[in-house]
Amino acid sequence: MPKTHPAGSGQLPPPPFALDEPGTIEFTAERALAGQALNRFALSLRSPGGRARFLADEASYMRRFGLTSTEITLVAERDWTGLLLAGGHLQAMLKLAATVGQDLWSIGAHTAGCGRDELIAACPRTVSGLPEAPAAPETPMAPETPMAPGTPMAPGTSGDDA
Amino acid sequence: MASVIGGIGISHTPSMGLEYDRGMASPGGFSPRWQPWYDGTRKVEELVEQLAPDHVIVVYNDHLNYFDLDNYPTLAIGVGTRFRQADEGWGPRDLPDLDGDLAWGLHLTRELVEREFDLTVSQDLAIDHGIFSWLPYVMRRPWPVPVTPIAVNMIRQPLPTANRLRSLGTALRASVEAFPGDDRVLVIATGGMSHQISGARFGIANEELDRYFLRRLPGHLGELVAVGVREYMRLGGTEAAELALWFAMRAALSERAEAVYTFQAFPAITGCGALVMAEPGALPAHDMEAKR
Repeated sequence: MPKTHPAGSGQLPPPPFALDEPGTIEFTAERALAGQALNRFALSLRSPGGRARFLADEASYMRRFGLTSTEITLVAERDWTGLLLAGGHLQAMLKLAATVGQDLWSIGAHTAGCGRDELIAACPRTVSGLPEAPAAPETPMAPETPMAPGTPMAPGTSGDDA
Repeated sequence: MASVIGGIGISHTPSMGLEYDRGMASPGGFSPRWQPWYDGTRKVEELVEQLAPDHVIVVYNDHLNYFDLDNYPTLAIGVGTRFRQADEGWGPRDLPDLDGDLAWGLHLTRELVEREFDLTVSQDLAIDHGIFSWLPYVMRRPWPVPVTPIAVNMIRQPLPTANRLRSLGTALRASVEAFPGDDRVLVIATGGMSHQISGARFGIANEELDRYFLRRLPGHLGELVAVGVREYMRLGGTEAAELALWFAMRAALSERAEAVYTFQAFPAITGCGALVMAEPGALPAHDMEAKR
């Protein structure tokens, strides 16, 4: 996985319909076990006291949670991709991002290998596709209703989603 | 007996909540990205008011804001008189806590266990944007109705299957109908539509999938369940797994329930949709007629 990423390196390719890396870093049961200390540490930042103590002295706070020196380095470098690969859950890493003044776009840009502004400009990254083999249609339970068309939106910087 | 009078499927995102606070406070109103979502949910708010539920069951997912990975329940039910707001790292928003209803919480726990849904019981549940992000769009404060939250694991693999969530909906309906009295119960399921928020696929937006899902769910639950959670993840992003939560809502309604409103938008990173369904007779006649 790239640890560095040139900002504005060109247009992002359309996301593929696949669940492998680096497109997707799945939080498997194995990662949950590997990232136990890391996630415990990050989730401690859900309280204002935890955030204050961490910001006062990052390294010693992390050592109290039993993080390895490798993990401490990943946090110190805000290496979001490395943290997810090491078993950090995205939702837990978001607490860390919030604490250090970053957000979902920062994590997303790092894991997508592009600049933050480039990612913001590229989202939503529209693709089109339906399930390959839908089961045989059942007897309808109710008539279908027409729906309002989606509204295409201009790119902007409207916060983080989860 | 109590009855399920309708159901809502609706998306949630942290920014949906923050944009609500910003949009309502700003003289300029909502940002262009979020104005359509605010506009589109006006009808949902109106329908909730007309459905006039006495109790609301919300099937949602927590985002490591209350639960943590040392003990992660696949299914958990909140039982208490009050559910506070979780701190997601930025501090809580200015919103009142949710009211619980002990009689409903205890009843649903007992009835669901009786129907072999062995839920973790959370007596001090704090709720995150899974509920608080869309709630102010569809209900006015002070919150008009008590809630029983049911949290589903969308964090740690293995996730529950699509069919399990359908079964949960079926069990919820039977459990509601075993409640004495004549309470009207609304079942809300909430989950993002297509979205993925990490990896190189960050920002994937499959509106075709979202529209297909909204169109098919009212009348073709079996077809959508058969697709399977991983296929939704492949097509719509890993977090599109949350669509499976909507199956619990549909299955909690009868076959005669009808869609009265659907809406879909893609404000930023998460496909946002809403589907309101009502049982026959649950709404004033003109609303059921208006859609035809």
